[in-house]
Amino acid sequence: MRSLPVADPGVPDARSPFRYLLWTARSQAGSLLVGIGYAILWWTAMALVPAAVGRSVDAVWNKDMRGLLIWSAVVFGLGAAQAVTSTMRHRMAVFNWLSAAYRTVQVTVRQATRLGATLPKRVSTGEVVSVGNSDIAHIGNAMDILLRGTGAIVAIVTVTVILIGTSPALGLTVLIGVPVMAVAVGPLLRPLHRRQHAHRDLQGELSTRAADIVAGLRVLRGVGGEQIFAERYAEESQKVRHAGVRVAAVEATLEGAQVLLPGLLIAGVTWLGARAALSGEITVGQLVAFYGYAAFLISPLRTLTEAADKLTKGHVAARRVVRILNLRPEVTGGTGTSQGGLLRDVASGVAVRPGVLTAVVSAVPEESAAIADRLGRYTDGDVDFGDVPLDSLPLDEVRRRILVADNEAGLFAGSLRDELDVTGAASEEALARALRAACAEDVVEALPDGLDAAVAEAGREFSGGQRQRLRLARALAADPEVLVLVEPTSAVDAHSEARIAVRLAEARTGRTTLVCTTSPLVLDHADHVVYVEDGVARAQGTHRELLTENAAYRAVVTRGEEEPVRPPEPAGVGRGNPGEEAA
Amino acid sequence: MSAQILPVADRAQVRAYARRLTLKYPGTLSAALGLHSLAAAAGLVVPWILGDLVQDIRNGTRTDVTMVALAIAGFLAAQGVLVRFAVYVSSRLGEKVLAELREEFVGRVLALPLSTVERAGSGDLITRTSRDVDTLSRSVRHAVPETVIALVAFAITAGALVLTGPLLVLPALVVVPLLWISTRWYLRRARDGYLRENAAYADMTEGLAETVGGARTVEALGLQDRRRRRTDTDIARSWAAERYTLGLRMVWFPAVEFGYVLPIVTTLLAGGVFYMQGWVTIAQVTAATLYMQQLADPLDRLMSWIDELQVGGASMARLLGVAEVPDDRAEGSDTPEGEELRAADVRYAYREGHDVLHGVDLVVRPGERLAMVGPSGAGKSTLGRLLAGVHGPRTGSVTVGGASLVELPLDDLRGHVALVTQEHHVFRGTLRDNVLIARPDADDDQVRAALEAVDAWEWTVGLPEGLDTMVGSGGEAVPPAQAQQLALARLVLADPHTLVLDEATSLIDPRAARSLERSLAAVLDGRTVIAIAHRLYTAHDADRVAVVEDGRISELGSHDELVAAGGSYAALWSSWHGRPVGTDTPRAG
Repeated sequence: MRSLPVADPGVPDARSPFRYLLWTARSQAGSLLVGIGYAILWWTAMALVPAAVGRSVDAVWNKDMRGLLIWSAVVFGLGAAQAVTSTMRHRMAVFNWLSAAYRTVQVTVRQATRLGATLPKRVSTGEVVSVGNSDIAHIGNAMDILLRGTGAIVAIVTVTVILIGTSPALGLTVLIGVPVMAVAVGPLLRPLHRRQHAHRDLQGELSTRAADIVAGLRVLRGVGGEQIFAERYAEESQKVRHAGVRVAAVEATLEGAQVLLPGLLIAGVTWLGARAALSGEITVGQLVAFYGYAAFLISPLRTLTEAADKLTKGHVAARRVVRILNLRPEVTGGTGTSQGGLLRDVASGVAVRPGVLTAVVSAVPEESAAIADRLGRYTDGDVDFGDVPLDSLPLDEVRRRILVADNEAGLFAGSLRDELDVTGAASEEALARALRAACAEDVVEALPDGLDAAVAEAGREFSGGQRQRLRLARALAADPEVLVLVEPTSAVDAHSEARIAVRLAEARTGRTTLVCTTSPLVLDHADHVVYVEDGVARAQGTHRELLTENAAYRAVVTRGEEEPVRPPEPAGVGRGNPGEEAA
Repeated sequence: MSAQILPVADRAQVRAYARRLTLKYPGTLSAALGLHSLAAAAGLVVPWILGDLVQDIRNGTRTDVTMVALAIAGFLAAQGVLVRFAVYVSSRLGEKVLAELREEFVGRVLALPLSTVERAGSGDLITRTSRDVDTLSRSVRHAVPETVIALVAFAITAGALVLTGPLLVLPALVVVPLLWISTRWYLRRARDGYLRENAAYADMTEGLAETVGGARTVEALGLQDRRRRRTDTDIARSWAAERYTLGLRMVWFPAVEFGYVLPIVTTLLAGGVFYMQGWVTIAQVTAATLYMQQLADPLDRLMSWIDELQVGGASMARLLGVAEVPDDRAEGSDTPEGEELRAADVRYAYREGHDVLHGVDLVVRPGERLAMVGPSGAGKSTLGRLLAGVHGPRTGSVTVGGASLVELPLDDLRGHVALVTQEHHVFRGTLRDNVLIARPDADDDQVRAALEAVDAWEWTVGLPEGLDTMVGSGGEAVPPAQAQQLALARLVLADPHTLVLDEATSLIDPRAARSLERSLAAVLDGRTVIAIAHRLYTAHDADRVAVVEDGRISELGSHDELVAAGGSYAALWSSWHGRPVGTDTPRAG
C-alpha cells in the first residue's frame, strides 16, 4: 500500500460529475482493482460455505466420518479464506476511500489557491465547507462501494450458477426472484430520500442555531435572553426529532421489507427443495445448502441497494466539486514588464509616488478601498505602473510587487512565526522590526511560546485590535516594493495608533507606500495626502496644509470635533456638572 | 487546536448518565426490546422447521411440504412485520432521547459562568456544539439501536441453540477466549486511535475551509505553495492516524472472522460424532448448524458498531463536561445601597504571579461619564471586566452601593452593570429579536427608541422588511459597524444604571461614531458610563478621563485638567489634534 497523499494529484477531468468520478477511479485504478479482486474472493468464499455445509450434513446423514472430516475442513478452509480476504478487502477499501477523499481535497485546495480573490466572490463559504464536511466522504463512499458492489454481483452470479447446475427449477426461481426483490423495495427509496433530505436540512438549521448561540454567548450571558434562546432551540430540536421519526418510519418499513421479501424467496426455495429431496432428486445436504443460499443472498442484495444509493450521492457530491473546479479567475495578467515607478489610478487620479508615504482620505471608506483594489489589480481598472499599464504585467508579478493589506485579510492556523513571515525568508531581526513597527510586540510577549506559539484557526484567540496589529506586522515583514494599507489602525487604541504612525513611516522610509486612513495621527506622518470625494481626488498636499486650506478635509479627519459639543464653558469649570451649564 | 478550557466528564460520569438515560422511559424501552426479541425469535423458527423436515425425510414420515413452506413464509413474514415495528419504536425512542440530550446540552452552554465565556476563545465550545453533537447523534441514531438489536438477536439465538442441543454448544465455546482477548486488546487501543483519527480528519477539513475562506489573502501574500503544503501535511497526518486504526483492525478482524466460522465447524464435527454415537438427532444437528451460521450476523453487527459507540461515548464525555464548569459566583447577602461603583486596591492576574492590575483605586460617581484611555495591554479591558462584575479581583474589592459585584446574583448584576465589548454578534432571527434579547417584553415603540438612540433607525427602515427583516447567519448581512449599533441598542433597552463600553464603537466610521456617542449620551443621561476608548474625542467628551498605564491609573481628571497638566494624555491629545506642542511623538506609556 502506497503512502498518502500523492505528491501530485493530477489534473482533474471536470467536464461533468460523472467524468470527475471516473477520473478519480482511474487515478487509483491499481488499488481499486486489487480491492475488487479481494472483494470477489471474499464474496465467493462466503457463497461457497452453504455448499460445503450441505456436503457436511450429507456426510453426517451417511455416517461418513471421513467425508465429515474432509467437508468440515473445507468449511474451515473457506472460513479462513473469508477471514483473510475480508481483512484485505477492508484494507483496500479504506485505502481507496481515503485516496479519493484526499485527492478531492488536494484538487479543491489547488483550485482555491489558483482562484484566489475570485473564489469568495463566486462561491459561498458554506458551499465550500460542505465539500470538506460531506462531499469528500460521499466521493470516498462511491469508491468504496465499487469494491463490495462488484463482489456482490459476482457472488449472486456464482450462487445462481451453482443452483442451476444442481436444479434448473431452483436456479431459475432464484435468478428471477432476486432482481424482483431488488426492484420491489424501489418505491420505498424515493420517499426515504425525500424525508432524509428534509431531516438533513432541518438538522443543518439546528446546528447553525447552536453555533449562533455559542458565537453570541458573550452577549447572551452579558445582557440576558438565555431563556428565549433555549426555548427557540428546543422548538427547532423538536422539529428535527419529528423529521427524524418520519425518516425512521420509512427506514423501518424498508428494514421489514428486506426481511419479508427474501423470506418469501426462502420459503419458495425450501418448498421446491423439499419436494426434490423427498423424491430423492437432491440430497438432504443439498436442501440445507439451498436454504443457506437463499438466506445468504440477502447480503449481496442489500449491498446492491447500498451501491445504488452511494453512487447517487457520490454523483451529487461530485457535481459541487466540479462546479468549483470549473471557475476561472476574474482578473488575468499579461506578459509585459515594468521598471516600476509611479503607480497611478486613472479613474480617481490618485497617484502613488515611488519612495514616498502617500495617504488617501475619504469620508466613505468604500471609496478608498475601491481605489486600493484597483491599484492592487483585484478588480479591473485603468492603472499605470511606471510607463506601462498594470494589466500588461503577469498577475503573480503584480502580487509580488504590490501588496494590498486590508482588514478582511485572514490569519491562518499554524505557528505565529510562519504566519508573520510569509516568504519564509525574513530574518529574526526583520520580524522583530516589523512587530515593533506594528506595535505588536506585546501580543507576542504575552504568548507563552512567543513567536513559536500556535495560532488558532482565523486567529480567533486574539482580540480585534491584536489581529489588526499582527496583520500589519505581516504586511511589513513581507516588505513589498509597493505596500497598500487599508485602514491599518481602525481597531487599535490612540496610544498605539500614535506609535504605529511614527514607526510605520520609519519602517517604510524610501519605499513606496499608500495608506487609506482618516486618522490624523497617521496622516500627520504621511509625506503626501490625497483627499478623495465621490471617488475622485479633490485636493492634495501635506496633512497640515490640507487641514488649514480645505474645510471638507478638516471635517473628515477631525471627525467633526471642531463643532461645538456644548455651549462654551467658562474656563476652569469642570465638565462634570451639567447643572453649571444651565446656570 | 485551541486551548481546552472546558472540562471533560470521566468514564464513571458518562456511564451513570447513559444508564439514567436508558432507564428514563422503561415502558417504551421494554416495548422496543420485546418487539426485537419477538422478531429474532420468529426468524429462529425457520431452521427448527428445516431440521424437523430433514428428520422427517430421514424417518420416511410423509410430510406436507406445502404446509412446511407456508409455515416458513408465515414466520418470516411475521419477522418482517415485527422488525418494522421494532425499528420504528426504537428509532422514535432514540429521537426523543437525542432531542433531550442536545437540548440539555444547549441549556448547559447557556448557563456557563460569565468568566468562562469571557475568556478568549470559543473554539472548544464550537467544536463541542457541532462535531460532538453530530457524533453523538450518529451514535444514538445508528450505533445504539444496532448494538441493542444485535445483543437481543445474539441472546435469543444462543438461547435457541441451548434449547436445540446443549451438548452441541459446548465445543463452540472454544471461540469465547479468542473473541474476548482480541476484542479487549482492540478496544483498549481503539478509543484513542479513533479520537486522534477524527481530530486529524477535522484539522484537514478545517484547513480546507481556511484556504477557501482566506483565498484572497492567499493570493495577496503569495501563500499558494504554503497552503498546498499545509494541505498535504494535514493529509499525511490524517493518513498516519487512519493507518494506526487500520493496523488495529488488521489484527482484530481476522480473529473475529475466525470466531464466526469456528463454531460452525465444531458444531458440524461434534454433531456428526454425536449423531453417529446416537446422542443427538439429525434434526438437532441441522438446526444447530444453521443457528451457528445465523449467530455470525448479530456478532458482526456488534463488532462493527462497537468503536462507533466508543467514539460516541467520548463525545458524550465532552458534552457532559460542560456541566462540570464550577459556578464562579457565590451569592452573598449584601444588597447594594445606591449606585456608586468603587474599586479599592484591585489586583488581578490571568496567570498566577503575573498581575496585570497593580492596586487600582477608582470611585465612579453615579451619573458621570468616565473615559479610560491608555496603550494596549495596559489593563483597560481587564479593569472594565472587573468593574462589570465579570471577574472578581485577586485582592481588593469592586462594589456597587457597598455590595461586592461578584456576590450579586447574575440577574441582579445585569440590572446594575452591563458590559458591551468590541466583539459583537448578530443573532439569526429578525432585527427586532436582536434588540429584544435583554427585554423580551418591550414593545415596538421602545425598540424604535432604542434604535434611534444609537443612530440605527434610519438604516433599519431601509431594510427590506424593517424590524421583521431576517438577519444573522443566512439572513440579510449586517456590517460590523451596524452590529455594534445593535449591541448598544440592546443595552439601551436593558437600561442598567451603569454601562461599561469596551471599544463599543470602534468599528463604526469615526464621524458616525461621534454622532452616535452623542445621541447615546442623551438617552443615557443620568446613567453612569465607563467608556474604554481608542478615539480621543470620546475622552474629550467625557466628564473625567482615566489614563491607564502598566496596570495603574496614572492620570485622572477632566480633559482640560489633564491637558493643562502636560502629562502623557496632553502629549497624545496635541498629536491627535494636529497642533505641535514641543514634541511630535507622544510619550510611550
